[in-house]
Amino acid sequence: MAAKPGTASTTYSPVDPTHKTKPSIFTDSDWVRPDSRGFHQCRPAFFRTGAVNSASGSAYAEFGNTKVIVSVFGPRESKKAMMYSDIGRLNCNVSYTTFATPVRGQGSDNKEFSSMLHKALEGAIILESFPKTTVDVFALVLESGGSDLPVVISCASLALADAGIMMYDLVTSVSVSCLGKNLLIDPILEEESCQDGSLMIACMPSHYEVTQLTVTGELSAPNLSEAMQLCLDACAKLAQIMRSCLKEAASAAEE
Amino acid sequence: MVGLSEGEKEFIKGGIAQDLRSDGRKRYTYRPIYVETGVIPQANGSARVRLGATDVIASVKAELGKPSALQPDKGKVAIFIDCSPTAEPTFEGRGGEELSAELSGALQRCLLGSKSGAGAGIDLSSLIVVEGKVCWDLYIDGLVISSDGNLLDALGAAIKAALSNTGIPSVHVAAGASNDEQPEVDISDEEFLQFDTSGVPVIVTLTKVGKHYIVDATSEEESQMSSAVSISINRQGHICGMTKRGGSGIDPSVILDMISVANFVSRQLIEKLDSEISAAEANEEES
Repeated sequence: MAAKPGTASTTYSPVDPTHKTKPSIFTDSDWVRPDSRGFHQCRPAFFRTGAVNSASGSAYAEFGNTKVIVSVFGPRESKKAMMYSDIGRLNCNVSYTTFATPVRGQGSDNKEFSSMLHKALEGAIILESFPKTTVDVFALVLESGGSDLPVVISCASLALADAGIMMYDLVTSVSVSCLGKNLLIDPILEEESCQDGSLMIACMPSHYEVTQLTVTGELSAPNLSEAMQLCLDACAKLAQIMRSCLKEAASAAEE
Repeated sequence: MVGLSEGEKEFIKGGIAQDLRSDGRKRYTYRPIYVETGVIPQANGSARVRLGATDVIASVKAELGKPSALQPDKGKVAIFIDCSPTAEPTFEGRGGEELSAELSGALQRCLLGSKSGAGAGIDLSSLIVVEGKVCWDLYIDGLVISSDGNLLDALGAAIKAALSNTGIPSVHVAAGASNDEQPEVDISDEEFLQFDTSGVPVIVTLTKVGKHYIVDATSEEESQMSSAVSISINRQGHICGMTKRGGSGIDPSVILDMISVANFVSRQLIEKLDSEISAAEANEEES
């Protein structure tokens, strides 16, 4: 797909995707983010529940260019092969569409996203309320624009609430990227590809408890505590947006 | 693992609360670590680490490959962990797949750092032979032979030891190759370059049982945990990776406290591990 320099341009030649973007431009002190957000500003969040009619509960989330749809099925009878269990089971699956990434079929990191989604949600769901049954959570990333896993986690907990599964609290998730000395919240794809370190937190805002936490790359200790504080504040605000979305959906259903 | 009775569970939790664990250790004490290097002659580097009853082997194989188009000046590293059924009968077939995937993911995060290469324990630019055309691909494989808790720490230590045991053969590139062709490379059998592992981090797993955290949990203690945080710290005391495992939520202030405990514990662990690795290498040279 790389453009050959020097050929007569009667044929379509796309921009060479391997052109080297120097990461040093990101450490300029007066650098502005590509979508002109502040360093500590999240993308505007759009949530809608009830996106999938045939599922017990579903939600659609759009954060800038990251679009995710999650559907929840259950509680359904566990497969006969599974052992008896007096608490419920949670089964999570995250998959990427082939057109989600700029290069077709490249959702490569998503093998561990399913288990990370499971860990983020299992602390919040009251599994004792549906013994012997399984709740299935299927997440589909329609477009990957950066910060995919946090959006998937927030959308999944909204879908679970829409399905009426009993939970201790909504789970919201935000990630922070460290580029040089700057901490950027809610990074987009270009920022993620040249980050020095990143922190992703999934938490239950009302309980002020962290259910999932990952740190990649190098983060010094003061950066780490500042990044955690940023994430927790952003999670609290995101929870309010999710709650108002649920209230709207409930009041619309009543009319 | 045999199930625990209610009395045994109370014993474990109570002991941890009083800073006296079932095998007599304090909360922040590691089990004795034994390291042997060069256990697999066919591999470029290998090591076996025993942490109490936990026994793991790590091996490193280097093969020539082509660097990825997105990062033509870096080599590639792939980490893969296999849980053998000799450790637990439930690992047979696909049973151990979930645990293997979790361990591989956590190790990749801790050792390979972020996408721009910062914080990486292994310097990928040292693996390049001809920029854009030929690089070394390192395949790091871990095998869990016997599992008695704290697999991630043992695997991290084994990979560090295996990497310091690794010898990359030196390569002579035929001069005069034109830009488009694959250059001819001649792999030497005699000369080896030792890998530089001063930047490779260690992994410390803190397991929270009740209100206290312990280091290096046995599988009995792990069955009573509410959650665990694995922190990867390098020699300079920087955090290279952190993963939370386990079900329930943790308060953020507890996480910051865990980080400072891990900092303190990692210093002793790094020293112990370094002395064990150099002792093992000395042993290997003698035999």
